[in-house]
Amino acid sequence: MGFLESVALYSFLRGPMVWLAFIIFIFGSIYRIYTLINLAKKEKVVLPFINIKAAIKSYLHWLIPFASRNWRLKPYFTIFTFLFHTGLIFVPIFLYAHNALWYESWGISWWTLPEIVADVWTIFVIIGCIFFIGRRIFDPTVRFVTNYADFIFVFICLFTFLTGFLAHYQWVLPYKAMLNLHILFGEIMLIAIPFTRLTHMYYFFFTRAWMASQAASWKTKDW
Amino acid sequence: MAVKPQVLEEKEVYISPYFPEYVRPKIEDPGLDETIKRLTPEKIEKAYQAVFGKETARIKAIIETCIHCGLCAEACQWYLSNDRDPTYSPVAKVKMSAWELIKRKGKVEPGLVYHIARVVFTECNICHRCSLYCPFGLDITFIIGLVRRFCFLLGVVPQRMFEMNQAFMATLNQVWISQSDYIDTLMWREEEGMYELKNLRVPLNKEGVEVIWYPLAAEPKAGVYHIDRIAKIFQVAGVNWAMVTINDAWDSSNMPMFTRDFFTMQRIVKGLYENAAKFRAKKLVLTE
Repeated sequence: MGFLESVALYSFLRGPMVWLAFIIFIFGSIYRIYTLINLAKKEKVVLPFINIKAAIKSYLHWLIPFASRNWRLKPYFTIFTFLFHTGLIFVPIFLYAHNALWYESWGISWWTLPEIVADVWTIFVIIGCIFFIGRRIFDPTVRFVTNYADFIFVFICLFTFLTGFLAHYQWVLPYKAMLNLHILFGEIMLIAIPFTRLTHMYYFFFTRAWMASQAASWKTKDW
Repeated sequence: MAVKPQVLEEKEVYISPYFPEYVRPKIEDPGLDETIKRLTPEKIEKAYQAVFGKETARIKAIIETCIHCGLCAEACQWYLSNDRDPTYSPVAKVKMSAWELIKRKGKVEPGLVYHIARVVFTECNICHRCSLYCPFGLDITFIIGLVRRFCFLLGVVPQRMFEMNQAFMATLNQVWISQSDYIDTLMWREEEGMYELKNLRVPLNKEGVEVIWYPLAAEPKAGVYHIDRIAKIFQVAGVNWAMVTINDAWDSSNMPMFTRDFFTMQRIVKGLYENAAKFRAKKLVLTE
C-alpha cells in the first residue's frame, strides 16, 4: 500500500503522465482520423457518395434513445447504453473536482454538475459496465463473438469510475491510494482510445455517414 | 391399433473443427467438396492478398470499429428463423469468415476455406438488413461480399451458384438463351398477344424510345406469357417502348453479384446502359 499512497506516484501521475496521456490521446486520434480519410480518398466510391444530409439525419436517429428501430427492439440495452456513454463523456468533463484541477493548473473552468447528479450518473455508468459484462457472459449471441479484449475495455471503464466514486467517498482503500488508482485507470483509458476498438468513439461518425449515404441512395432509412 | 411413432433418420452432422458451436447437417455439394481438394496454401494466400491484401478505408473502419455488441443479430432472418442460434448472427458469420482470415493473414488450410464458403454462401442472403440495424452502420454485407469474392477466386462456390455464374460469363443471361432464341420468343409472344389486343406490337431495337424494358432471363425461358402481358400494359398505357436484342445485353438479373464476380457484373451493367444509350432511351424498366 505504501507505494500506491506515495506522493511520488501521485506527482508522476498528476504531472508527466497527464501530459503523455493527453498528447497520445489527441495526436493519436488525429492520426487515426487522418489516415482513415486519406485511405478513403484512395477509394473511388467512398467520398463522392457521402451524403451529408442523410448522414446528419442518421446521426440524430442513432444518438437519440429509441429513435431507431433497433433501440426500440432492445429497450434495456438502449437505456443502459445511453446512460453509460453519456456518463462516460459528460461526467469526467463536468465534474466539479476535475474542473478544480483545471482551474488549479491553468486557471480555466466551466460549468459543473451538481454533486448528486454526478454521483447518480456515475452509479449508472458502473451499472452499465456490469450490464455489459453480464451481457457478454450470459447472452449466447454476444458470448460467441466476445474475446478477452472486449472485457478489458469494459473493465477499464468500470475501474476508472469505481475508483473515482470510492475515492470521493473515501471507502475501501485510503483516499490517496484510491485516487492514484483512479488517475492511473483514467490515463490508461485515454491512451487506449486511439489504439484499440475504443476508436468507435469517432469512427462512429465515419461509418455511420457511409451507411447513411448508401441507404439514401437506395431511398431507404438506416434507422 | 397403436400408431408406431415414426423414427426420424439420424442425419449426418458436420461440426466445424474451428468453431465447435457450428453444428449443421452434412451437405454434399461438388462445388464445395471437390474444389477444396485443389487448393494449395499459395493459392489461398494469393486470393487473400487480392481481396484483403490492400488496406482500404472501408475494410479498416469496419473491422476496427465493430465492438462485438451483437445488435445486428436482430436483423438477420437466418438468426431469427433458427431459434436465435448464435452461429447464425451476422457478426458471428463475420467472425467465422473475415476475422479468421484477417487474423491468420490468409494462411489458412482448405478445411477452413470450406467452412468459410459454407457460411458466406449458404447462410447469408446479402440482404443488407444487418447493416441497417448496426448502431455504427457498419457495412457487414460488404465484408461478407468480399469473403464471397475470396471464395470465388478460389473457385470454392456452391455448384448451383457457380453454374449460374458460368451462364452469365458465356451468354450474359442466366439461362443460356441465344440471341436467335430470344428474338424468336419475343416475336412469337407478339403473335400470340395479337389475338387478344388489336395491333399489339413488341417493338424490337427501336430508336428514340421513352422506355426500354429489360426482362429477367427466366421470362423468355419459362414465363413467356409475361412478355405479352407487359406488352399489352405498355400498349394500352400508350408508352413509347421497346425491347433490345442486340449485344446479348438484355437480362436484368445480375446474378454474378452474389458471387462477387466483378468482371461479369460490370459487363452486364455496362451492356444494359450501352444499349440504352444506343437507342437513346429515357428510362430503363427492369423486372424484379
